[in-house]
Amino acid sequence: MDSSIRNRLLTILFVFGLGIYALLPSIRYTLMDEDKKSNLSDDQIDYFESRSIKQGLDLKGGIYIVLEVDLPQLIDNLAKNKDNNFNEFLIDLKSEYNNSSRDFFTVFEDLAVENELKLPRYFINYGKTKDQIISQLSLQSEDSIKRVIEIIQNRVDQFGVAEPTIQKQGNNRVIVELAGIEDSERARDLLQSTALLELMIVKNVESTNAIIRQIDSIMSVSNSKDVDQDDEINELFDSSSSSELGFSSLLISVGGNLAIASKDLAALKDILFKEDVIQILEATNSTILTSDSSIKLVNEIGQEEEFYTLFHLFNNAELTGGVIEDAQMRLSQAGVTAGQAVVEVEMNSEGSREWARITGANINNRIAIVLDKKVHMAPVIRSQIFGGGTVIEGMNSIEEAEDIAIVLRAGALPVPVTIAEERTIGASLGADSISKGTQSMAIGLFLVVCFIVFFYKMSGLIASFSVMWTLILLLGVLALLEATLTLPGIAGLILTVGMSVDANVIIFERIKEELRNGKSVRSAIDSGYERAIRTIVDANLTTGIAAAVLYQYGSGPIKGFATVLFWGIIVSMFTAIIVTRFVFDFVTTRKNIGRLSI
Amino acid sequence: MKFMENTKINFMKLKSFGFGFSSVLAFGSIILLLMGVNLGIDFKGGTAIGVSFSENVSIQEVRGSLKSVSFNDSLIDLSGEEIKYFGNQSDVMIKIKSLDNEPEDFGQMVINHLYDSMSAKVPENKNDFILSLGSVSPKVGSELSGKAFWSVVSALVLILFYISVRFEFRFALGAILALVHDVIITLGIFSLTGFEITLSTVAAFLTIVGYSLNDTIVILDRIRENMKSSGTVMFESTINKSINQSLSRTLITSLTTLFVIIVLLVYGGEVIRPFSFTMLVGVIVGTYSSIYIASALLATIYQSSNK
Repeated sequence: MDSSIRNRLLTILFVFGLGIYALLPSIRYTLMDEDKKSNLSDDQIDYFESRSIKQGLDLKGGIYIVLEVDLPQLIDNLAKNKDNNFNEFLIDLKSEYNNSSRDFFTVFEDLAVENELKLPRYFINYGKTKDQIISQLSLQSEDSIKRVIEIIQNRVDQFGVAEPTIQKQGNNRVIVELAGIEDSERARDLLQSTALLELMIVKNVESTNAIIRQIDSIMSVSNSKDVDQDDEINELFDSSSSSELGFSSLLISVGGNLAIASKDLAALKDILFKEDVIQILEATNSTILTSDSSIKLVNEIGQEEEFYTLFHLFNNAELTGGVIEDAQMRLSQAGVTAGQAVVEVEMNSEGSREWARITGANINNRIAIVLDKKVHMAPVIRSQIFGGGTVIEGMNSIEEAEDIAIVLRAGALPVPVTIAEERTIGASLGADSISKGTQSMAIGLFLVVCFIVFFYKMSGLIASFSVMWTLILLLGVLALLEATLTLPGIAGLILTVGMSVDANVIIFERIKEELRNGKSVRSAIDSGYERAIRTIVDANLTTGIAAAVLYQYGSGPIKGFATVLFWGIIVSMFTAIIVTRFVFDFVTTRKNIGRLSI
Repeated sequence: MKFMENTKINFMKLKSFGFGFSSVLAFGSIILLLMGVNLGIDFKGGTAIGVSFSENVSIQEVRGSLKSVSFNDSLIDLSGEEIKYFGNQSDVMIKIKSLDNEPEDFGQMVINHLYDSMSAKVPENKNDFILSLGSVSPKVGSELSGKAFWSVVSALVLILFYISVRFEFRFALGAILALVHDVIITLGIFSLTGFEITLSTVAAFLTIVGYSLNDTIVILDRIRENMKSSGTVMFESTINKSINQSLSRTLITSLTTLFVIIVLLVYGGEVIRPFSFTMLVGVIVGTYSSIYIASALLATIYQSSNK
């Protein structure tokens, strides 16, 4: 064996060995049965998970969510001395930002200038000039996105998902990928709930009645104003629609509480957003919230209807979720709630002191436990509570209680998040695509092999061998890169197989041409390769450029495609130019072959 | 085995016919595209829901159930949205345009509504009912389309540049026009089928670009080689010779690729079907265009510059 052949053989064996080594964990992990998998230690699972080729959510099933930090809401939260001007500005800002692809603070600045909004008036804590304020606000927004990512990470960790991916995208988005999650509804709630826990004192019946009367009178005034203005139009309408009868007409009394039918919730929202109503509530330092769960009652015409309890509360929270040290789901042992899921909360020492003070000062008052602006319960304080423990009731299910405990432990989001993009792939659909995908890949590959062996005989066998190795090496590279295989990635694999077959075909056709021109086998192989290589390199490099660009600009699925294609090109050039060439050289130098099976 | 060896087909004789044929196809495709492409939610925002009933259902039934869905404390009518079967008659795909003030869990709400209102025909576990759920806000949709568009454009520009350097600008022009031709016609045929364009069909289009490019370069490379011996005189016959020389390779490669794609189309399952279909059309159009667009354009360009 001459030294050039030996060196090439060693190189090829080294690369093949590397490929097999890289793929081994994936193969072992895939072939392992469930029993054995469940016996693996955490470290072993980590090893297999990180060294195996990952399947994308489109193949495996799972949930992919892009959360967007609600920046307009953050601005609203940070602003002081808000007036009409500001509120209008905020509405403009929201719609402008949602309909453009510009950076949030650029839109903010432009609109502020356009509306001649005096920023220092609202953001005096953040600076004296427009530029100072904007830079401080954008710092605040960066800070809050960091907090959001931390908290979401916490929640996901506690929820217990294998290999969650949480990453920042752009300035204000977080991508969360949870593979293999079945209950997408639950996962979504867990990620998105702000989890702001507030303990608020319920106002007494007298002041509640007073505020209802006041709201009623505002509405009758505004209605009569309407009548004055649109005299003619108003005649056309039935003048007894519910909103004209006032606020109190929407309410019924249920066991000492006020309640509102679920169909009237929209009307309630309208009323509470009226400016005069907002002013009255602010003046009395109060707020009106509804209960989290509903009750079913039979209304006057015998139909079952859903009702939510209405609460009139002191607007400033006595305590917030920040003081919580631990929260656990428990099944209630005693009382009317026995057997139901509740959340037991423990506060830190500062919270416990406060809690003792609040409960001491409000004996016989009711205290509402409010989570994300929904009242979960409002028990009467019977005695002072020491030790900082409390129990939250009013959960619909054990899962809900577990999740609320998780979000309370993980902390509240500093600013609400909205879902910008979501993709949930049910496990069955994912499994279906992957089994059908691999099956048809196998059938396709088999046909390709038959076809080229039929055309090129022995040489076709060599080509098939090189195509197989292209696939193995490419999968090995993907395992090493810890890349994720998605449906577009499989497309990339198919294209790679195509290009790898093509490279061989180009070479063989060239060799055949040289043979037809009367060259000997040896020199036909040499000049055939020499000429074909230039074509192959040019064709592959152009496609390689396309792949690299796609990788740079593309998002998610396109990126996956580009990765596979790029490495596919490199690997297929290696197998076609170096590996098959070696096999030909090896065969033809050992004995002087007169005829080539091609 | 001998296959298409020493052929002497005069491809360039049919050059004008090829141009005419391609123009008609391209023109028709552009009209089809202008009439409206079925853009998926990835690019225009909205919600797409795939559900799997436990027995066959009629589209009418699903439509009826979506007549009144509670939405922000009121009822809306979703029966006018796009509803179609997905693979078989028990799986249904529903695509809903993005609505103003859409609640966060809108898709889930619709799924829950279907699950409750058609309770006789749903699997016991709700998780088995959900095949897929996708929702994209219009803002993200426009960002994704922008990204996809610019990635394709910049790839084309760079390829143009590379071929200009390696070959010459006139070659690059032919190659790029052939690519644009392939993508437009495939898009046109694609829009006839009513499949929707999603991020993964974009990947299929990129695959076609890669494939067709590969094919074109192989022929252009032959032309370049033959030009060294024969110069640019009798350019058409040089091109004919080159196409004939690489004909067996072109056909063998296209056929092998078509095998894989047809298998994928038949056995690949519903998710991958739009992708396989795009590839099928693209490979056929791509092979044709390497000969009748890239090479023929080159012939025309040389002829006019030699006059």
